[in-house]
Amino acid sequence: MTRIALASWGAVAPGLSDEVTWRSWAAAPAPLRGDVRPDVSFLPAMQRRRCDTLSRTMLAAVNACCDEPQRASALSVFASRHGSFATTVEMLESLARRQPLSPTNFSHSVHNTQAGLFSIWSGNQQVAQSLAARNETFQQGFLEAVCLLDRAGERPVLFVTGDEALPEPVAGLSDDPHPPYAVALLLWPEGGPGGALELTLEAEPAAGDAPAWPPAVEFLRWWLRGEKELRLPAAPGAFVWRANARVTPG
Amino acid sequence: MRSGCRLAALGMHCALGGGLDEIWPRLLAGDRSGLLQRDDLVPGETGWYAPARGTLPPLAPEFAEYDCRNNQLALSALEQIRDAVDAAIAAFGAHRVGVVVGSSTSGFSRAESAFRERERTGELPASFALAQLEFGGLSEFVARAAGAAGPRQCPSTACSTGAKALLTARSLLSLGFCDAVIAGAVDSLCGLTANGFGALHAVSARPTNPMSANRDGLTLGEGAALFLVTREPDGVQLLGGGESSDAHHMSAPHPQGRGAEQCMRGALADAGIAAAEIAYLNLHGTGTPQNDAMESAAVARVFEAGVPCSSTKPLVGHALGASGAIEAGFCWLVLERREGEGGVLRLPPHCWDGERDPEIAPLELVGADARLAAPAPVAVMTNSFGFGGSNCALVLGDARP
Repeated sequence: MTRIALASWGAVAPGLSDEVTWRSWAAAPAPLRGDVRPDVSFLPAMQRRRCDTLSRTMLAAVNACCDEPQRASALSVFASRHGSFATTVEMLESLARRQPLSPTNFSHSVHNTQAGLFSIWSGNQQVAQSLAARNETFQQGFLEAVCLLDRAGERPVLFVTGDEALPEPVAGLSDDPHPPYAVALLLWPEGGPGGALELTLEAEPAAGDAPAWPPAVEFLRWWLRGEKELRLPAAPGAFVWRANARVTPG
Repeated sequence: MRSGCRLAALGMHCALGGGLDEIWPRLLAGDRSGLLQRDDLVPGETGWYAPARGTLPPLAPEFAEYDCRNNQLALSALEQIRDAVDAAIAAFGAHRVGVVVGSSTSGFSRAESAFRERERTGELPASFALAQLEFGGLSEFVARAAGAAGPRQCPSTACSTGAKALLTARSLLSLGFCDAVIAGAVDSLCGLTANGFGALHAVSARPTNPMSANRDGLTLGEGAALFLVTREPDGVQLLGGGESSDAHHMSAPHPQGRGAEQCMRGALADAGIAAAEIAYLNLHGTGTPQNDAMESAAVARVFEAGVPCSSTKPLVGHALGASGAIEAGFCWLVLERREGEGGVLRLPPHCWDGERDPEIAPLELVGADARLAAPAPVAVMTNSFGFGGSNCALVLGDARP
């Protein structure tokens, strides 16, 4: 079991981008449908042009989560199941037609694209990690953020997770079709600012039906509702979060 | 005081062979026979590549949804450490054994053939599954094939992936989330990376020639290296790691090697040792003009008194995300296969044309049949730098008193 603190959050999903809309969704959650058009006017124009949907969505969530000094100093974890998948599919189609690849597309298709864009935008030279873990990407990414906190010293860890809608022709192959979304959480070691959280990994699988929205969004719903415990299925069985002594909910 | 972090077992497959006993003598001999010319990856172009040597094991029918060359490479490495993994599962329970196995390509080559078929028929073949293409499909496959039920993820930070995977494994152990972790990385040759690096003019038309005045690019390779990482205090230890971000450019390193220097210094500080105590440095050494210029400058600043170093990419190519794990594997072999009473290190040679570049910082490049008397405790370092400005240096060695 590990104790940490959640200081602030930012999130983007269809129709939801600020604290007011997220709190009213959390009070009466419903499946998320549609597209996102995140406001990324905070990015320099040159960088903005190179951002695909996932990059825009994740960086908008980061911008809503933390201020400039926090962005410049935090260690970071970017977790996405599919990454810049539309760009990857576009390149696979080019290859199938024996057409040349765009060098910009190629260098912006790597799984750590968003981590790289974040570090350039914020001038952040700290550790940045990127990962995927199928339908456990949020849970295993959160664990990676906890691992990074262990070597972060006096710094916070910015945990960002999200995905874009799967493009044709692979959309029909997925077992978890979700709308585009991103959630950013600013985490501190135990005793840091914000609300206290415990994370425990259990070997017993979590029971119950999966919610009709991504695990990261379920986590945010749980946090905003001030509920005591959240269990999400993931290897080794279940990830269990407990909120306690919450002084100032983020 | 941190608990031990032992790299207890290693399985590896690359252009030098499948298995440590095949790889080690070829590594010391500077065997470049694994570099081959191929014309099937970039339309209309013949280029040099370093494919994994020999045949790869087939996946069992129950793993059909994961079937791709990348996972075959993973399986080849996993089979080599199967006994150690089984023993860890027996000792700690399956749910206490984690999997942190990264990739930058996953099953791209399988997806490429599926998309070629779609171009002809209008449909993706029924045998194509997202698990072949997803990064997380690799770590899920390794976990299932190994029988490990602990936390699992596929890190993917371009060419620093494999090195960073070992640091995640160390954290999972030190925080008590796992008692053993299968950690490393796997990458396979595919059209996407061959054409992508080609579009960036990063690929040499000849076998790669790192640190030379004539260097003009990398040679793509492939492979897998999987470690079993435990908390045991003996054996070859992961003594330290340093990570940084360039915050400079998506596909070009910081020209002065700012992030490279930062992560090497970070790794030394984390290990609690001085630069002068590093007996050997495995360079990232891709053979691109930019990497070698910035890396040599950063190495010269960190190792003021010099350090014996080599790039092993002339032997195995640049296996991208897997390179960090493969090169940590070469360092592991250097430590594990010391000779004689006093402990003589055999070092992998730096294979190149010998033409020093007067424009870059001079390095102490390892020649043929190099032996180094190095009494314990010994420490060595390996560098990995990737797209997105993602940097990682690791220090491996004997436990320090």
